[in-house]
Amino acid sequence: MTIDSGRRPAAGEPVGDVGVTRPGPTRRPTSRPAWLGQHLGTAVVGAVAGYAVGHWLGNQIASAYPNTAGASGLNDTAVVLGLAFGVVGWLAGIGALNYPLAKLVGREPVTPEPQQGWMRYFKYSTDHKVVGMQYLVTVLVFFFTAGLLAMAIRTELLTPANHFFGPDIYIAVVGEHGTMMMMMASSAVVGPLGNYLVPLMIGSRRTAFPRVEAASYWFFAAGYLVILTALPLGGFPTGWTGYAPLQTQSAGGMDSYLVGFGVIGIGMILAGFNLAVTIIHFRAPGMTWNRVPVFVWSMLATAALLTLATPTLVAAGLFGVLDRTAQTAFYVTEHGGSQFLWQNLFWFFGHPEVYIMALPGFGIVAEMLPVFTRKPLFGYRVAAAGMLGVALLSFFVWQHHLFQSGINPDMRPLFMLTTELISIPTGFIFLVGLGTLYKARIRMEVPMLFALGMYFNFLIGGVTGVFLSDVPVNVTVHGSFFVMAHFHYTIMGGLIFALFGGIYYWTPKMTGRMLDQKWGKIHFWTMFVFFNLTFFPLFIVGLLGQPRRVFEYAANLQVWNDISSTGAFLLGASFLIFVGNVVWTMVINPRTAPANPWASNGLEWQTPTPVPYFNFERIPVVLNDPYHYGDPEPAPVADLGAGLAMAVAGATADPSTGLDPR
Amino acid sequence: MSAINPAPGIPGLIESPEEAEYELRAAEGSVWTGTRLAIGIVAFAFAGLAFAYFYLRSANNDQSWRPHGVTAPTDIGTSIVALTIAAGALALLGNVRLRRGLRADWQVAGWTVVATGLLVVALQIWELTRLRFFPGSSGYASCFIGWAAMNIALVLGATYWIETLLARGLRLRRALVEEGATPAALSAERLFRANAEGCTLFWGFTAAVAAFFWLLFYIF
Ligand code: HEM
Repeated sequence: MTIDSGRRPAAGEPVGDVGVTRPGPTRRPTSRPAWLGQHLGTAVVGAVAGYAVGHWLGNQIASAYPNTAGASGLNDTAVVLGLAFGVVGWLAGIGALNYPLAKLVGREPVTPEPQQGWMRYFKYSTDHKVVGMQYLVTVLVFFFTAGLLAMAIRTELLTPANHFFGPDIYIAVVGEHGTMMMMMASSAVVGPLGNYLVPLMIGSRRTAFPRVEAASYWFFAAGYLVILTALPLGGFPTGWTGYAPLQTQSAGGMDSYLVGFGVIGIGMILAGFNLAVTIIHFRAPGMTWNRVPVFVWSMLATAALLTLATPTLVAAGLFGVLDRTAQTAFYVTEHGGSQFLWQNLFWFFGHPEVYIMALPGFGIVAEMLPVFTRKPLFGYRVAAAGMLGVALLSFFVWQHHLFQSGINPDMRPLFMLTTELISIPTGFIFLVGLGTLYKARIRMEVPMLFALGMYFNFLIGGVTGVFLSDVPVNVTVHGSFFVMAHFHYTIMGGLIFALFGGIYYWTPKMTGRMLDQKWGKIHFWTMFVFFNLTFFPLFIVGLLGQPRRVFEYAANLQVWNDISSTGAFLLGASFLIFVGNVVWTMVINPRTAPANPWASNGLEWQTPTPVPYFNFERIPVVLNDPYHYGDPEPAPVADLGAGLAMAVAGATADPSTGLDPR
Repeated sequence: MSAINPAPGIPGLIESPEEAEYELRAAEGSVWTGTRLAIGIVAFAFAGLAFAYFYLRSANNDQSWRPHGVTAPTDIGTSIVALTIAAGALALLGNVRLRRGLRADWQVAGWTVVATGLLVVALQIWELTRLRFFPGSSGYASCFIGWAAMNIALVLGATYWIETLLARGLRLRRALVEEGATPAALSAERLFRANAEGCTLFWGFTAAVAAFFWLLFYIF
């Protein structure tokens, strides 16, 4: 008998909960066609079957219980159980539950031969590069779906009083757009770029918990489907913030919102958990903390927020579900609950969430700036400290979202202060960028354009944020399009610009193909101009009093709204340029990318393309940080060949080399 | 320095024993940190519940925090907390024995913890059928239902962890006896130990959570 009953992990595959890379035969490849195993198709079948079972069960439990029929007459218990069982069916269908169940009888994992071919992207894969690509495509699908809803919103707002939709549909579309975008944005960088690149950047062959990483993706994808069900279930009238008491009173779409956020939340926690542990323990020998790439620092800070802030959202969502099904009264003031409780719990997550979305963007651009300026990163330690500072402080500002509600007025100055304080480390990060740009000979390549665009936009988003932290200003513009414009400038103008910059920058590594640079520049300029055309007018209409989430507005605001809507449609078209570029350069006319097109020192660029299954044939020994640009004779960043002939055996003996992975 | 060995079955991959050792230590460290992080995650979720408890209690909206001072059945609740603490203590004791090499003791303690965990879950469900209040009748009632749901999930999770370890421990032991101390078996054993430490800590945390909320729901 062997310890694994003949099921040996492949080399590099984990043994048990967390494993060790070790040599071992893989399971012999079978001649069974790939589509016969577990894949996206079986996941969908599992989800549908799960939904049916859950729905049936919910009706058995609660059909005679009239109170659980929400405003739409739907039985909320049936809907919630349907969605929850649907997610379980989805996970079972894809194979995410195989190992957790086999573990009950002490089995070691069965690891198939490393898969090749496109089918692997439709399967439950523990290869961090496959997971990264799966995330990337799903994030884009999320983004474009929610983007279409944005177009619908702007269409409705073309005229002040002639309507394309009724008010109910309008608010349902706004809520769906906002929620989908927020769900997408919270994993937009961590999922694709974090999972794909962090192990490469720290010189690791794998992540700490590959199955947790894979599960995080399949939760994320399930969350997309769950939140989509909100539309056929009647939408939710609360907007993305889900405020009670409306939350407790509204139709079945609200169940999708609560379950959806729960599912996405679990995915976020798992992703953050895996990344944090990977960064702490799987850095290659010599990758000391002051050599860690700044993008990895941003991932670490984000992972800390994901793991610690999101559980509160999941708990808050559970309470909401219990209110709607088991008839508790967490958020029902008349029965000893409080609608402000939701606001507190939601924003305790929600404000760190803002930095979950901002920090990765900063990480991407800070990583790219030295490459395109050929200068070392200015104030590397300040950048890392700033990211951790922002992460920490972000837990202490949530009450500024409650300045108008549910807060003791005496507490306002305190939260005004903490909010203004957080602009200091944010400013640090900003200054690091400016310091790097100072007197630089900038290469205006496409990723760099996006980085500069991000700085421009985030400046506007950030400065208006400082305004908003001020109680008198906040009281004046709260609930208006001013707030809307502010956060679109930070998230869309910041994170999404950085994400696209990152996509142009790293696709040559991730796909081996180069996106067309001329079309990339056209994409950037159209996106930049039309983004500003769409959102800058919204500051103006906001200051003039246009409330958000309302489908009508004063006639004198039509010009600004029309400018915004026109900008939005053109902005939508700019994404078509990107899609066209991807299809052309990846599918129709693929061109092999140069090995290191931007002449970056980053460790990720030292691997072959396509990146081998185990990333590094030998575990590299890191010798330097990757930012020594401009040195006439820079020391090499890593020794990739000598392998751990190094003193790993005695690693603990010399902690200064950072050789001890513990 | 040992020679570099080709990894059988993986074309092109060669791995030295030093590399294997390096990654094994990283994996052990990951269990250590992962356990603490998992505790942090669960702690923040329960902090949400504690926040709800104190927020609703101090707001006492509509004088409906806890009308008539009614509580959930104290006898069942106290049994639950006593059993959870006992399970935590037993997990700890078992781990001490395991460290001393007394594997059979750990197995006995561990299976008892599994049984206790399942009993706690059963009791928690039974308690829900014995409540003297409607879930939505008060802030207290709502928080209590929330607690019951979260506690069931927590105890089930902790029980799952120790059960899978016990099952794995049995297989590992058989492999060690039958095959001897192969490098693969030894690394699996080291990871198993790291997991056992982590699981023990998690059970201790579970017991602490139970004690804390018992005070909130039955005493204060
Ligand atoms: C594609 C370009 C986009 C356009 C044209 C757009 C447009 C809009 C508009 C007009 C509204 C407000 C509707 C109202 O309050 O009446 C809105 C709301 C919102 N948008 Fe966007 N948006 C875009 C992209 C994004 C992105 C990238 C994000 C975040 C990642 C985002 C997040 C939100 C959120 C959270 C809301 C608030 C929803 C609510 O009030 O509950 N949007 N968007």
